[in-house]
Amino acid sequence: MGKGILQTSRQRRGLILDPRTKLLMLITVSAFVLGGLGGDRLPFLVPVLCLAVLALFLTAGKYRAAAIYLSVYAAANLAAVLLLPRLSGFFYFLLLGSVGIFSRVMPGVALGAYVVSTTTVSEFTAAMQRMHVSEKITIPMSVMFRFFPTVGEEFSAINAAMRMRGISFGGGSPGKMLEYRLVPLLTCSAKIGEELSAAALTRGLGGETRRTNICRIGFGMQDIAVIALCGGCFAAVGLSYLGVI
Amino acid sequence: MIELKNVGFQYENADSGSLCGVNLRIGRGECVLLCGRSGCGKTTLTRLMNGLIPHFYEGTLSGSVRIGNLDVAESELYDTARLVGSVFQNPRSQFFCVDTTGELAFGCENLGLPPEEIERRTARSALEMGAEDLLGRSIFQLSGGEKQKIACASVSAMGPEVFVLDEPTSNLDMRAIGDLKNTLRLWKAQGKTIVIAEHRLHWLTDLCDRAVYLRDGQVEYDLPMAEFCRFSPEKLQSLGLRALSLADIRNERTRPCPEETFLLKNFLHCYRGREPLALDIAETELPKGGVIAVVGGNGAGKSTLSQCLCGLKRGFGGVCVCGGKTYSRRQMLKKSYLVMQDVNHQLFCESVEEELRLGMSGTDETGLWKIMDALALTALWERHPMSLSGGQKQRVAIASALLAGKEFLVFDEPTSGLDFYHMEKTAALLRALGGKTTVLIVTHDPELIVRCCDYVLRLERGRAVEQYALDEAGQQKLRRYFDREERMEILHG
Repeated sequence: MGKGILQTSRQRRGLILDPRTKLLMLITVSAFVLGGLGGDRLPFLVPVLCLAVLALFLTAGKYRAAAIYLSVYAAANLAAVLLLPRLSGFFYFLLLGSVGIFSRVMPGVALGAYVVSTTTVSEFTAAMQRMHVSEKITIPMSVMFRFFPTVGEEFSAINAAMRMRGISFGGGSPGKMLEYRLVPLLTCSAKIGEELSAAALTRGLGGETRRTNICRIGFGMQDIAVIALCGGCFAAVGLSYLGVI
Repeated sequence: MIELKNVGFQYENADSGSLCGVNLRIGRGECVLLCGRSGCGKTTLTRLMNGLIPHFYEGTLSGSVRIGNLDVAESELYDTARLVGSVFQNPRSQFFCVDTTGELAFGCENLGLPPEEIERRTARSALEMGAEDLLGRSIFQLSGGEKQKIACASVSAMGPEVFVLDEPTSNLDMRAIGDLKNTLRLWKAQGKTIVIAEHRLHWLTDLCDRAVYLRDGQVEYDLPMAEFCRFSPEKLQSLGLRALSLADIRNERTRPCPEETFLLKNFLHCYRGREPLALDIAETELPKGGVIAVVGGNGAGKSTLSQCLCGLKRGFGGVCVCGGKTYSRRQMLKKSYLVMQDVNHQLFCESVEEELRLGMSGTDETGLWKIMDALALTALWERHPMSLSGGQKQRVAIASALLAGKEFLVFDEPTSGLDFYHMEKTAALLRALGGKTTVLIVTHDPELIVRCCDYVLRLERGRAVEQYALDEAGQQKLRRYFDREERMEILHG
């Protein structure tokens, strides 16, 4: 557990981007790849952004994720070019649908996974503070991130218990299946949540003094490159609407 | 430093843990042990000192609690936090951050200290606790002992005058306890005031200056530690307290180990991405129908062994040969049951009866009531399992396993955080389970082992390094092992 959701260790993290840059990149990729903002007039933007996502995975040292991402993306595009024209009817729509999901939705999801797995909670709170987001929003959010892996741990323990009782499938009824998992999960989570709040309060959370943060965030060369890319994309759209391109 | 004047407290929604007419003065630099049975109010007392009562846990409070010049009830929690640092029982739920460095800094960040100062303080407190190699790691990859170390370092970095610890060793092995002892020594040497509520007493005898014994929310004894140490083992037991010395832990009524054995073969398991095998037992023979203690430090492979034995590790290739039959992983899943440390994970239904009928093999009505009688659950059959006490929940889980026809019962730390009375009850229950079923108990609790086990299996780095019957000689061996473990870390420090 803990891997994947807000990875924290400072070692082997590769190129570090400012959380705000990552957020901008996330917005750009969603707008263009998923939302199709570039339209037909700027067809080259989508592959460029998809490759940029790949580059981010590589700079973070996540080679396995990069390889999977690249092969899925390439396979989806190849299928669209080579297979689609030869199919018709049901299979045509089936393939069209899956190609759409893989080439349009996946890059955004992959980038989301990248952002979540490369940002620490302290980086996140520091960035939020810089953007003048209220602590009323950032503190609950950082607790939420803290809570995910805990709930995951609880959930796997409950699953193990159900397997030993031979009731993993709830006797065939989906309602029972859900109930058996949720009842213990809620009990345990509520207890952990309470203890967590008590511990945080005894460490002075919620005081009137403005919290400081030891996490040093800031924009570097890599951030400028990514911001330029994102800015370039939006500028290209603006220009194309004005009829320049 | 700490002054409680005629303090009474009653929780809003619970009867246990209330206090009545408590007067207590603790001087600067004193180290005080709070002890007593479960529910005697020692946790409540720690909560009064760190301000969680009345600001977090609700109830009716009378009297006054002062720390230095600060009235706890009238000050805000974050002001008390500057003066009082708290370490809690459950290492899993006292961390706010996901990474250790962030956690160390968390308290100081709340105080609004400048970043350079925070870095200086966290580096110093990590150095003092010997936690430097834990920096920059994920909380979820740490053992219980390492988590407790981080918790102490994090509190220490805030530089409070008073430290309040509430059962900090419940989930720790002997080595980690030795570690914690070093930390407390350090705080003592720095002239800090320490208040510690504990069930396990043996590690505190040469550390605390004073012992306060509570009964039903009132102070019954308030003695210097030296005087408290003169209490006989029998007297301690009648007070519901654990042994003061590991040497006192013995049991004359040993019973012979069952003759028949079962065999674990090919018990190997490796976690993905980690090189040495977490469990590395080619073949081992254990008494069938015995009550077997599984001991060893953190990371010795105890929980991996129990999960493998219960058939919970997918792709596990080992087998268990028992009574001429060979059980594969899938069959072990049907034959064995793990009673988890947090038993809340395994109670699913709306009533005790329904819980027990779920997964029952066959419809043996008389069998159901017999087992309910044997485990004293008959009176509770209509209750919601989640409304029961910890011990009752544990018995429901055991009953459900027995009714499902399980032959192997594995217990993970069944007595963590229990006082003498409840520990002995659990021991009697586990002892009675032996014979018909084979019981394996993963535990750090020597008192439990000598009371109910007849065999010991010791693991180290995934290997079975020692196994012996728990007769007179075996008990001696066991005591030596626990003693050595506790000293080990002290020598390091």
